[in-house]
Amino acid sequence: MRLSLRVKGARLAAAILLTACLGLPAAAPVAAADPVVLTVGTTQDLDSTNPFNTMLVSGFEAFQLTYDLLTNFKLDASPGPGFADSWVRSPDKVTYHIRDGMKWSDGTPATSKDVCYSWGLAMAAIADGKSIGAGYLDPNVKDAGVTKIECPDPSTFIAYTKDQSDRVFQVYVPILPEHVYGKVDYKKIADEKFDGPLVGTGPYTLAEWKTGQYARFVRNPNYWGNKGFEDEVVLRFFPDNADGMFQALKSGEIDYAHNLNADQLKQLQADPKYVAVPGKANGWTQLAFNTYGTGTGKTIPNGGPSTKALLDPAFRDALGYAVDKNALVSRVLGGFGDPGTTNVPPVLSDWHVEPDKPRTFDIELAKSKLDAAGYKLDASGNRLDKEGKPIKLRLYAPDSEGSYAKSAEFVKDWYGQLGIAVSTQVLTSAALGTLVLPPEADPPGTAKYDIELWGWGGNPDPNLLLSVFRCDQIGTQSDSQYCNPEYDKLYDQQSTEAGAQRHDTMAKMQNLIYDEAPYDILYYDANLDAYRTDRFAGWQNMPANGTPMFSYGDLNYTLLTDATIAPSPSPSQATPSPAASAPGGSAAVATPAPATPAPSAGTGDTSGSGSTSPLLLGLVVVVVVVVVGGLVLGRRRAATPADDE
Amino acid sequence: MSAHYLARKLAQAFVTIVAILILNFLMFRMMPGSPDRVIKNPNLTPEVIAATRARWGLDKPLLPDQLIAYVKATVSGDLGYSIFYRGQPVTEVLGASIGPTILLVGLAEVLAIVGGLAIGAYAGWRRGGKTDSIGTGASLILYSMPYFVIGMPLIIVFAAGLGWFPTSGMTTPGMSDQPLLTQAWDLGSHLVLPLIAVTLGLLGGYSILMRSSIIDTRAEDYITTARAKGLKDGYVLRHHAFPNALLPMVTLIAINLGYVIAGAITAEIVFNWPGLGTLTIHALNARDYPVLQGIFLLVAVSVVIANLIADIVYGFLDPRVRT
Repeated sequence: MRLSLRVKGARLAAAILLTACLGLPAAAPVAAADPVVLTVGTTQDLDSTNPFNTMLVSGFEAFQLTYDLLTNFKLDASPGPGFADSWVRSPDKVTYHIRDGMKWSDGTPATSKDVCYSWGLAMAAIADGKSIGAGYLDPNVKDAGVTKIECPDPSTFIAYTKDQSDRVFQVYVPILPEHVYGKVDYKKIADEKFDGPLVGTGPYTLAEWKTGQYARFVRNPNYWGNKGFEDEVVLRFFPDNADGMFQALKSGEIDYAHNLNADQLKQLQADPKYVAVPGKANGWTQLAFNTYGTGTGKTIPNGGPSTKALLDPAFRDALGYAVDKNALVSRVLGGFGDPGTTNVPPVLSDWHVEPDKPRTFDIELAKSKLDAAGYKLDASGNRLDKEGKPIKLRLYAPDSEGSYAKSAEFVKDWYGQLGIAVSTQVLTSAALGTLVLPPEADPPGTAKYDIELWGWGGNPDPNLLLSVFRCDQIGTQSDSQYCNPEYDKLYDQQSTEAGAQRHDTMAKMQNLIYDEAPYDILYYDANLDAYRTDRFAGWQNMPANGTPMFSYGDLNYTLLTDATIAPSPSPSQATPSPAASAPGGSAAVATPAPATPAPSAGTGDTSGSGSTSPLLLGLVVVVVVVVVGGLVLGRRRAATPADDE
Repeated sequence: MSAHYLARKLAQAFVTIVAILILNFLMFRMMPGSPDRVIKNPNLTPEVIAATRARWGLDKPLLPDQLIAYVKATVSGDLGYSIFYRGQPVTEVLGASIGPTILLVGLAEVLAIVGGLAIGAYAGWRRGGKTDSIGTGASLILYSMPYFVIGMPLIIVFAAGLGWFPTSGMTTPGMSDQPLLTQAWDLGSHLVLPLIAVTLGLLGGYSILMRSSIIDTRAEDYITTARAKGLKDGYVLRHHAFPNALLPMVTLIAINLGYVIAGAITAEIVFNWPGLGTLTIHALNARDYPVLQGIFLLVAVSVVIANLIADIVYGFLDPRVRT
């Protein structure tokens, strides 16, 4: 067969292309003085670099790198130096000292004027009964009970508070440069573009943001605190693509991965090159029972719960015995998470209490409790409510996490064993969020559901999570439609308390919700993060049962050291808490990776070549293609003679 | 081509676009759930929620207020503001994603058209030969493989395993300070794997259709005549069979070019390519109505325009449709 010139040309072109491709990475130019870049991956996209506009964890991570809070967080999540380096608490006020000689990244002196401007935005909004942007930041100031702010001199800021609560040290309001934004009031600040380069006092300031790709932060030359090893921080976004992030971690393109799935984490746990951190998350997944009408006797025409049994605490209590939370943690979460109890997650260890009267998994006990409460079985095994109607519950879950639908199927099975039929349906978050709205909402809804399976995530202070059960949240955030004036009273009380006193009140609240059971908290979720140990050392969990990044504040970004040199014993480099990290992980942090030679910083050296499974998989794919191709070839060849003209 | 034919085609395209515009509006409003309920935040007071709804125009009645406002704004080039990206204009959000998609899918289309037509033509010409067996077999396999099935092994072997290429993304962060050549190099190395995946995914369709088209053409009398004249085999293929076999390809190419804008969704997701495909999935998850509307409008209009071009090109190529 003679090849036409064109085919020859095509072959030549293909050969050149292939050669070019193969030679490409090797020949990639490497600049001499590449900055040391820490690349952190997350499956969440960034929605906004404007602190007042972001609704997402990635947004909080981004603005906290650029801006200081008045008080930041220490490794144990307690208040630490931020824009202020010290403070004095007196009964009605806190007097902050603003660090002497501190400068913004552009060289302008940073003073109390900047604090008065930034907190002033929130104060003005609160005074007008309004909220700024996404409505996440200014309520912190309100919740802290701040009544007045003052800046008597450049190094002093005073916040007057109506009580002694310590929430004033957890106010998530970034201190913005007054000399940049000073003319913008609270009504307009959410519309401001916070495009890089930004001016901040944080360790790394935003240089650029590529939507859906990455945000890059460069070292703030004037940063007042410890200087991290990295010159730049890059947050890389892998929206809806945990697999892509996992591969990027393995190839060394990213140093840290946030929000891996359980299978990926288990793979990494087995590999000494990585430290996998199943950190406790500040949140939970719950069954929210529709208790609409509790206390008020109100009903919704053609809506609301399908049976009055849901309004009965004894009924909900009995159901609580039918849910095996350990099974959910091991079989739905892959073992990463904790069985749920009260409405303050254990990660908030200062406030969380276990219930006084815990329920254990016991289907028979659940049955007898239902019988005792007056919910009998009929002849065909259906559980009847007090009106004599078989109880059939409609359970809805959102599609945002796969674990929701799986948990729902378990619950359906367990309740089924009690004679209670459950229909489960997965909806989009938007549809579910709308479905649970009662007539009190604007626009009014009909709350036509029995159980909502969803979750909540909270602040460093438990107030946010506690508030969901308040009567005044019906129509906005309440998804159990629960109302109990006693609970509201306790809520108001603890808001003004501090220390042991607040702890005791909060313990009462947690027990009240647990016993009344408008929620059955299934499990406390885990944040599944992992990091490489070949380039950076000095990772520390924050708090000890949490994860290094995407927790509170930015401290970890300033504590990283070069993993390729023997660590010098410096006071800032404490050994990481071994409690939550994988076995062998902490050892790998302290010493440079022994097997791999030190890769030159910044080039993203390939150290994944040792892993055999990807190659194996690739090989399998090639073999399959060849075999199938061969079969087709063989068949065609056999068919050829008869086929041809 | 008559002016009448052109006017009719243009009018048809216009009516279609108007219908799309209205359908586009209604479709998204019929989806259950309101975008302001996606995120749970107990901090939000009813006033804030009301203000948010007013900002997105969700407080007004659907018909006619929201529709009129939508059509008015769209015609003036204002596609509204993204809900997920907290108030960025949709035109900006789309604008940032169009480039990467056109680069990836456009380039892949060109490669796939060239490669697919060549393989298909040669396979059809030498029907039953080795090229046909291998080419058609491979085409069928590739044609049936979604992009991510092609893409994932590429990432596992060539990116994560061998480390020859980056696993995902379009650029290395911080490249904007580098010289242009370095930037292009960086972009190129990011582009190789997704480009291969999308090209392979598209190639099969072209090659299969081209093969059957060439086989049809091969039986025509003028081919026999050309051969009888003693013309070389390759010459007959290139100058007699190939141009005539192209006619059915015009439709496929035109329609596919229209879809370039839509992106190769699964490929973009797998490679984290910041194009319109990734944006589509993302906007869907976030119930970002304005962005979704913008994408659908863009895709629909580009498909209509591509079809219009196909009709016009057809008019030139085939005198029978000119009336």
